[in-house]
Amino acid sequence: MAAPVPPGAPRQQPPTGPPPNFQQNPNALADNFQNMNLNRPPSSNTRQPPFGQPPPFSSSAPASQRPGPFPPGAVPRPASGPPTPTLPPNMAPGRPSGAPFGQPPPFGSRPPPPGAFPSSMPPSAGSPPYGAPPPGARPSPVNMMPSGAPSGFISNGPPAPTFQGGQRFAPPGSSQQQAPMGAPPAMGPPGRAPPQAGAMHPFMGSPGAGASQVPPPSGMNQVAPTFGGPPQAMSGSVVSPYAPQMSSQPGVPPMPGSMPPPRMYGMPPPMQNQMTAISPVIGQTGGTQPGASKIDPNQIPRPIPSSSVILHDTRQGNQANPPPPATSDYIVRDTGNCSPRYMRCTINQIPCTADLLTTSGMQLALLVQPLALPHPSEEPIQIVDFGEGGPVRCSRCKGYINPFMKFIDQGRRFICNLCGFTDETPRDYHCNLGPDGRRRDADERPELCRGTVEFVATKEYMVREPMPAVYFFLIDVSMNAIQTGATAAACSSINQVIADLPEGPRTMVGIATFDSTIHFYNLKRVLQQPQMLIVPDVQDVYTPLQTDVIVPVSECRQHLELLLESIPTMFENTRTSESAFGAAIKAAFLAMKSTGGKLMVFQSVLPSIGLGALAAREAEGRSNISAGDKEAHKLLQPADKTLKDMAVEFAEYQVCVDVFITTKTYVDIASISVIPKVTGGQVYYYHPFSVVLDSVKLYNDLRWNVSRPQGFEAVMRVRCSQGIQVQEYHGNFCKRIPTDVDLPGIDCDKAIMVTLKHDDKLQDGAECAFQCALLYTTVYGERRIRVTTLSLPCTSNLSNLFRMADLDTQFVCFLKQAAREIPITPPLHVREQVTNFCINILLSYRKFCATVSSSGQLILPEALKLLPLYTLALIKSAGLRIEGKIDDRSFWINYVSSVSTPSAIPLVYPRMIAVHDLDTQEVNGSIVPAPLPLSSEHVSDEGIYLLENGQDCLIYVGNSVNPDILQQSLGVPSADQGGAEFNLQQYDNPLSKKLNEVINEIRRQRCSFLRLRLCRKGEQSGMAFFSYLIEDKVPTGGLSYVEFLVHIHRQIQMKMSS
Amino acid sequence: MAEFLELETQDGVRMPWNVLPGTKQEAANCVVPIAAIYTPIKPFPNMPVLPYAPLRCRTCRSVLNPFAIVDFAAKIWICPFCFQRNHFPPQYDSISEEHLPAELFPQYTSIEYESPGENPSSCSSPVYMFVVDTCIIEEEMAFLRSALSQAIDLLPDNSLVGLITFGTLVHVHELGFGQLAKTYVFKGSKDVSKEQLLEQMSFFLKKPKPATGVIAGARDGLSTESISRFLLPASDCGFALNSVLEELQNDPWQVPTDQRATRCTSTALSVAACLLGACVPGSGARIMAFVGGPSTEGPGAIVSKNLSEPIRSHKDLDKDSAPYYNKAVRFYEGLAKQLVHQGHILDLFACALDQVGVAELKVAVERTGGLVVLAESFGHSVFKESLRRVFQSGDYDLGLSSNGIFEINCSKDIKVQGIIGPCASLGKKGQLSSDTVIGQGNTSAWKMCGMDKSTTLCLIFDIVKKETPELAVQPSSNQFYFQFLTYYQHANGQMRVRATTLSRRWVTGPGTIQDLIAGFDQEAAAVAMARLVSFKMEVEAEFDPIRWLDKALIHLCSQFGEYQKDSPSSFSLSPRLSIFPQFMFHLRRSQFVQVFNNSPDETAYFRMILNRENVANSIVMIQPSLISYSFHSAPEPALLDVAAISADRILLLDSYFTVVVFHGANIAQWRKAGYHSQQEHQAFAQLLRAPSDDADSIVKERFPVPRLVVCDQHGSQARFLLAKLNPSATYNTDAPLPGGDILFTDDVSFEVFLDHLQRLTVQ
Repeated sequence: MAAPVPPGAPRQQPPTGPPPNFQQNPNALADNFQNMNLNRPPSSNTRQPPFGQPPPFSSSAPASQRPGPFPPGAVPRPASGPPTPTLPPNMAPGRPSGAPFGQPPPFGSRPPPPGAFPSSMPPSAGSPPYGAPPPGARPSPVNMMPSGAPSGFISNGPPAPTFQGGQRFAPPGSSQQQAPMGAPPAMGPPGRAPPQAGAMHPFMGSPGAGASQVPPPSGMNQVAPTFGGPPQAMSGSVVSPYAPQMSSQPGVPPMPGSMPPPRMYGMPPPMQNQMTAISPVIGQTGGTQPGASKIDPNQIPRPIPSSSVILHDTRQGNQANPPPPATSDYIVRDTGNCSPRYMRCTINQIPCTADLLTTSGMQLALLVQPLALPHPSEEPIQIVDFGEGGPVRCSRCKGYINPFMKFIDQGRRFICNLCGFTDETPRDYHCNLGPDGRRRDADERPELCRGTVEFVATKEYMVREPMPAVYFFLIDVSMNAIQTGATAAACSSINQVIADLPEGPRTMVGIATFDSTIHFYNLKRVLQQPQMLIVPDVQDVYTPLQTDVIVPVSECRQHLELLLESIPTMFENTRTSESAFGAAIKAAFLAMKSTGGKLMVFQSVLPSIGLGALAAREAEGRSNISAGDKEAHKLLQPADKTLKDMAVEFAEYQVCVDVFITTKTYVDIASISVIPKVTGGQVYYYHPFSVVLDSVKLYNDLRWNVSRPQGFEAVMRVRCSQGIQVQEYHGNFCKRIPTDVDLPGIDCDKAIMVTLKHDDKLQDGAECAFQCALLYTTVYGERRIRVTTLSLPCTSNLSNLFRMADLDTQFVCFLKQAAREIPITPPLHVREQVTNFCINILLSYRKFCATVSSSGQLILPEALKLLPLYTLALIKSAGLRIEGKIDDRSFWINYVSSVSTPSAIPLVYPRMIAVHDLDTQEVNGSIVPAPLPLSSEHVSDEGIYLLENGQDCLIYVGNSVNPDILQQSLGVPSADQGGAEFNLQQYDNPLSKKLNEVINEIRRQRCSFLRLRLCRKGEQSGMAFFSYLIEDKVPTGGLSYVEFLVHIHRQIQMKMSS
Repeated sequence: MAEFLELETQDGVRMPWNVLPGTKQEAANCVVPIAAIYTPIKPFPNMPVLPYAPLRCRTCRSVLNPFAIVDFAAKIWICPFCFQRNHFPPQYDSISEEHLPAELFPQYTSIEYESPGENPSSCSSPVYMFVVDTCIIEEEMAFLRSALSQAIDLLPDNSLVGLITFGTLVHVHELGFGQLAKTYVFKGSKDVSKEQLLEQMSFFLKKPKPATGVIAGARDGLSTESISRFLLPASDCGFALNSVLEELQNDPWQVPTDQRATRCTSTALSVAACLLGACVPGSGARIMAFVGGPSTEGPGAIVSKNLSEPIRSHKDLDKDSAPYYNKAVRFYEGLAKQLVHQGHILDLFACALDQVGVAELKVAVERTGGLVVLAESFGHSVFKESLRRVFQSGDYDLGLSSNGIFEINCSKDIKVQGIIGPCASLGKKGQLSSDTVIGQGNTSAWKMCGMDKSTTLCLIFDIVKKETPELAVQPSSNQFYFQFLTYYQHANGQMRVRATTLSRRWVTGPGTIQDLIAGFDQEAAAVAMARLVSFKMEVEAEFDPIRWLDKALIHLCSQFGEYQKDSPSSFSLSPRLSIFPQFMFHLRRSQFVQVFNNSPDETAYFRMILNRENVANSIVMIQPSLISYSFHSAPEPALLDVAAISADRILLLDSYFTVVVFHGANIAQWRKAGYHSQQEHQAFAQLLRAPSDDADSIVKERFPVPRLVVCDQHGSQARFLLAKLNPSATYNTDAPLPGGDILFTDDVSFEVFLDHLQRLTVQ
């Protein structure tokens, strides 16, 4: 803990105030998800600050503080704030022996020992302090299989860092004990982190102790490293490369005490290719005898998440450091490039030519999440105030100053890394250069040493005063909403959430209800009670008051409470079944027009009258599977342009709309979702709505919605270095001019995909930079520019592209593109497209990078070895399930359009864990036990399983579960009992406690209050559960994972031979 | 003159010609139209109310009256209008010459029937829909608020009350909603139809909407429940109403400094009309509009929002350069039609320094028989007192009645050209209606949605009898008969019929001049001329009222005066006609004819009052009365002449709209010195008190309450007096009058006028 100096250049100046939305409190997230039914012990899943000392700012915050705002006192940038020398900006090193969290995932019941973490991690020996230099370590991990390697599954042992569980099939060789990696300690190149070797040992070395869920080690014999790479890869011993790789695996907890020299990470990139080969066929029979059964399902690639925290420097040795997997737990130190949370590229090296990219079959795109939630231990983003002049920018391309602008001529001029133009350095910004050619002040100036900084915007960046934080709630009070309890749930949620709105005089609130008319409320304080103002004309709407409908929250708290309490009773006996959704949002918009702000709509039925009324396009209760209905996908398109036009107008006036759909019926999300999509909002979907199940979720969703880091009236633009240009932006925003996207609202959960294209050749070895500038207004009314810069090397080597491919990002690109296709293309075509994407990449790899391999093997690039699995999962996902309900699919499509990478993966590839034996499962630091493969083989009748995808959480109860366990965990005596409306409670027994802990931890991780559903075999709910097990064969024609691999393999073989 | 007043106290009728010219030609020569100025529900203390339905003629539906010829033996009566023989029904079996039913008593030419069977059902309670402007400054709002809450306290408990406020938007307050203040808000710029309104205010929630037919009122499918959302008994909604009023804010929409407030008066009135039409059609509901400025939004806007554009003046109207005027008038004509159809009344309380659009609203107010009050401010006593009077019961109550229908029967040689007054033609065209139309014509029945005990109509007749060749042959009867039937809902809620039957002698042929002169009522004639000239000024383009009046007067004088041709000095008029030229002189100078000193709003206001007042009050408007108080004599009427001014006199001028107490210079000095509060100058105190007491009594019984001006000679307020005086002494006059006052005018004095008249007459 005493880490005196972080590895990065220590910051001389004290950290400035945190960026407005920075999450100060590590507990904040967890606290945000309150399971009201849970009685979670306060400390059960609060994350302790990783350091002995609290993080600089959280110290003043009570543990239960909500996430959004930090203590007001911290807002002003303390020009001479209290220096916190002991707390270097990069807090990562402080992370304690992450023992509790750093559990190696795959082996649930690994026998504690040999290399039990704490002990196995002697901080000594110059071991790399960061447990996992994941990508940087890649070079070594190439497992070469002897050429005569037995056929079978081959994985180059060092699994891509993405899946730290790679070792599952990694160990080559016939016996684990002999596995080349089997003896890592010894093999570890001297000086290279012996401890890791120790850490690794348990995995490889004692497989016999593997827990029951874990694939038996016997499978190992079919896994062999294969030679994939060019010969030079061979140079490394089979083992040696592996060791460092493994070191990262079990999430070696960061060693606070041992500050590694940075170079430890910056190992020179290896030239080898990594790959995984699977040969579905024994022998060289080609594709004729696929014999899928020959493939051991336990050996095929699967994600093995690590729960250990990875420490990641964005640049090392002046080179971009490939980021850890998006889904892993990592702590970033910004050493020049931005944190991968804010911006990731699908490939971590940029192909020099368009042809090269085309050949690879891969996508070139950025996933930008400009306000992403940082890890609590990360250094906050620095705020830079250039005073009246505003930030230094390139005079030609208007790119913002960043660490890659090259200062020349004694610092008098600088060359823009984006457009190549040479600018004069502004006089007051001048500084001499040091011997290394850098400005002498580079390390003191965040904008010259950090990939992400936030500039204080000057008047020049404002067309008006920064807008206040306006929150307008619009609640459906039609008969249906009242009767299902949706109105009451919404009102009570809002009532509680009022307290979570940003403090301050600039926070304004308004409220309106609607059925066949729109009811506004005058909340002016002088009134004795709120006054209800009804706008009855739902064809031609207007706002009933210019002011007083939206008032500062501090002035109307009492009125609001009174009103929210009385709304459900006020409409108790309503007989109005109509709902004028379109008119209502239009009217609310008119009320907000002068300021802009967030409009949160609670809608329960199909909008039936007034402006933007919709027709029940989907006959209720009939699924659209009805064959021959070729136009079925049209139902996924908006019904007409009315709402779209409205949305564009909203966006123009900076109104961001979130829609909370609490319904039991079809509401035409395809049409409704256009509004949130265009205005930078979000759709929340509670279907079938149940007061019991969803009230709490509604509250938590709403709470997170208003309290999460966010900005208003934002404009975003991505600039690229010469040679590359932005092709298109995808996400929830409004676009009026080609170069910028308008975001009336932007928050930490929203990601925008930016596809790129070449317009010129790039220089091999040069760097190509991407800069995302987000101009926005914080909830406190400060105008800021968040500038995120990523500079990546260019390459003309195809195998480099495969090696540096970012699976998660790559796949999320597919996902988002597929989601866009679904409404306009028949589902079969989309599936085919998706499959072809996958095949083309693999084919390219096979063709150009793995020519040595036998044709009987399916060769997968190491970095992309999970692509087939994810592709399969995508094909089977809700959005592509033609038998699915239209609204479910529309919701999925909408959700995907703005989803961030870390949330997208579980959406498609959910996590399943066994919970019946939680209390007996080995606790290895992580609260959540290791996930199971999504296959029904892993679901036994005696077990209880939990499956979550970040949105829903299904608890499956097998047929013959021990009633005691059932009673203990769920509080029901038998599987048959307990209604569908099931609420998890905490009972006084270890199993129940543990279960609640796990669920809360999942909620924290997902930033989402998952809705729990009880599923039973033989029931509809059980079917729903099994539909998530994507490795299974689906009777209606979906291939199993193994079959899918065979299918892909055959396709590749066909294309190879043709 | 006295006999005319006597006739008025019996029947409420004054006629310019009480002996009628017998032929069309002779009528034309009479210049002043054959007219009747009738106060339909003038209270008569001795008039009986018969508890049964009137007996009607089989063919012409006229009501049995004292002029019917009754054959007691045969139990038959002959209708004087159509000469139909009618059998008495069984209940009249017992009649005889000694035993007459009241309607046959000669003195009961006016009588009322109130048959118990005709009780209206539920709609009997009066309905008040307050329509309140909120685009006014806070100070005015406070005045209005307190005036309204006073008024609400005075409402009868059984009356139903609704509230609509408006500014940029129209707010319909749902007073029946207990939990919080709830209003429906309508766009100001958009006119809403009744059907839309019903739909949008959720009147059909509990029932399917009827597929066809007009939906209106409880009878036609609206639940009382949904009606009671907006119209509540005054006893129940006092609290709700008062709390809404208390919190009533100025219209919160910001008004740029170079613009007028957005005020959608017309839309608010339209919404009120639709709401009442939906809830309580056919019952006597009043829309009471309180307007504090010009309408700038919606179909009835009178001016644009831009302040650089002035509100229309008479000049603009004459030049047809008031772009909003015609559209607004058309809108209010439509509204008037709707209100008449529904039987509802529009009352207008216009209180602003600026014009608010009374000229445009006039048509709706007048056709529905609404009240109108024009004042400078909601704080002004003219408004406050008038509003109180509306709801006041007791001696000075207005006797507001509603739902009236006025019908007429007359002898066959007479037709009705129309009525100038607060009513609307029902378009019941028949033999009685003349082809030439004046005012509300083309009918023999009129709707009077609202009326009060002083509402007075002016009926203009047309004698259609042709000149017969056998002049000598006197027809069997030389009587014309008129019967006025007024159906109305009495203030007590009961439906009543008043029947007034008149008989007038007609003369024809040579030598009838004297007979005609004997029956000439010059006051009634002046009033009829005033209404007629006002009407013509409004409807006839290029109409020159002065010329028209002068020609008429000259024609009349040459017809009825005695003179030798070309000898002005020989001219003389019968006493029956002698004051008429004077009335005409003042009418020419009055606000009704000389409009250019006033705004169109004021003119419209004056005319509306003129058109609804009785003869006596109308004469005061035309020629104000002047009373002089001095130590030398008892209060005496003074000539309406600048010569009446004297330093040691107090003058009391009653010009109907304004009552002026004018202290001569000396009196004013004494008063300022405080003599009236000294014991030894009791007489002076009394002298001071007398005119103000008299003024108070005038103020007390008049509606709208006049403006009381107390002023001193040479003071600025004295203009209210001076403007009305005959300019016998102007700055051109050589010898100033003893009173010391001269008028700064170039107007001709009465003497000059008479000179000219004589000269022209004898030509």
